[in-house]
Amino acid sequence: MDEEMVRKVARVARLDLTDEEVGRYAAELEDILSAFEVLDEAPAMEDFDPGPVPVEDRLRDDEVKPYPDPERLRREMRAADGWVRGPRLT
Amino acid sequence: MTGKDLATTVRLADERYRMFAEKLEDPLAYEGGHSFHFSAKDNLCSVEFQARAGSRILEGYNPPFDATAIKRLKEAGGLLIGKTNMDEFGFGSFGTNSDIGVPLNPFDTTRCCGGSSGGAGAAASVLDGHLSIGVSTGGSISCPASFCGVVGLVPTYGRVSRWGLIDYGNSLDKIGLLASSSDMIARYLPVISGPDALDPTSQVQPPLSIEGDVGSVAIPEEALAGLSDGVRKAFEEAVGRLEGMGVEVRRVAMPELRFALPAYYILATAEASTNLARYCGMRYGDIVEETDLGFNELFSQVRSKDLGNEAKRRILLGTFCRMVGLRDRYYIKALQVRKLVIQAYERQFREVDAVLTPTMPFVAPRLDEVEKMSALEAYHADFLTVPPNLAGLPHISLPCAYIDGLPAGMQLVAPHWEEGRLLSLAARWEREFQYRRPEGGA
Repeated sequence: MDEEMVRKVARVARLDLTDEEVGRYAAELEDILSAFEVLDEAPAMEDFDPGPVPVEDRLRDDEVKPYPDPERLRREMRAADGWVRGPRLT
Repeated sequence: MTGKDLATTVRLADERYRMFAEKLEDPLAYEGGHSFHFSAKDNLCSVEFQARAGSRILEGYNPPFDATAIKRLKEAGGLLIGKTNMDEFGFGSFGTNSDIGVPLNPFDTTRCCGGSSGGAGAAASVLDGHLSIGVSTGGSISCPASFCGVVGLVPTYGRVSRWGLIDYGNSLDKIGLLASSSDMIARYLPVISGPDALDPTSQVQPPLSIEGDVGSVAIPEEALAGLSDGVRKAFEEAVGRLEGMGVEVRRVAMPELRFALPAYYILATAEASTNLARYCGMRYGDIVEETDLGFNELFSQVRSKDLGNEAKRRILLGTFCRMVGLRDRYYIKALQVRKLVIQAYERQFREVDAVLTPTMPFVAPRLDEVEKMSALEAYHADFLTVPPNLAGLPHISLPCAYIDGLPAGMQLVAPHWEEGRLLSLAARWEREFQYRRPEGGA
């Protein structure tokens, strides 16, 4: 992975990297990706799953229940007047 | 031990080994007539403590609820005495990637505890009758169990509800237990196991039974390459002891294992890079009240300041592997390899009850040695613990040797949902092999 690619990926991931970090991550990730090339030797499989064991949807009953501690949740979310506050953008 | 004595023991142990991210400080809090005490890794939510997952970006996050595993242990009479330190979000094998400090190995405080559940390993090692909840994504229970000389059990993926866990890799994360011997784990694994409506992946599990045994094991030759001389010799002695207990040992080839490490790191970082997108200064931890930046600039600034070096590296790797044009080569190929590795284990399980390897290729390294490791060398240290984690298979690390006074573990892997037989073998092993506690104690 070259430095240009590291800068591009960092932008996508919302990371501001210093020049020093860009250089270091480029070298480290190049090493890591080179080691990963062994995967090219693994046979392709038609049939594979997103997880290690089967999962099926079992829906719980749709019962209305109070949240364990709504006051605490509101406090943690810094709710005000029934609204959840985000940062003020100026 | 009275509650007050326990409070003193916990305080002194933490001063010496720094295993807690946060703990009960008030001695009165220990005087509740609880039947046992336990700790939880810092990436599990509880109402008493912050949940920081070892990261500065979650500083100040106080969960308003208990994780299911914590809730169930409390209901069974347990006292939650603290949250144990860990590598940031689980990103590490040595416990050294935490913003909260580095837990120290109770057998030698110049050495690491392992990771990422390093504090959990240390707490299980030094506190009598203690149960540590750990979390394993690629080896984060087995590794500290081996380095700290304790038993670490990782159940089948989905056995224990992940509700209340701060996700690292959703298709890989498994909540498990560490303790100084297997009886605590056999007693409390059934408590935390079982379906939970709040985690769909826990819903389709067969009942857990602590029975059956391991009468035969396969040792893959691939697991014996790259071991330190001390671990190789100690492991072969342990194999001899198992044979003496009547366990049949077969030497086999599992060439598919060489694909497990890259497949794991691709899946884990791809999932982590999406999971960590939520930490941007708006919802958790140090929430920004006012800014003159646009959203993207704000998010980038907060994340760059508050995420650690390893977290950034893994976010970059995972984001790269998911990018347009690369997804099939990396992410999809890794999913295919997971299936391949599961099939490789299933082939062995047609002939034997478990697959046996050392847990780690070396004993706990010194902290200065960890600092000198390259990223790739650090990732490669996981080559024995990653395959069962990638495959979602239950596994246990049992202390099997002491090399110059430092513990080393062996790891047994069983078929999906058959963790019970691992605990049966552990009980038999503990009648044959005497575990040691660290000399300094708590």
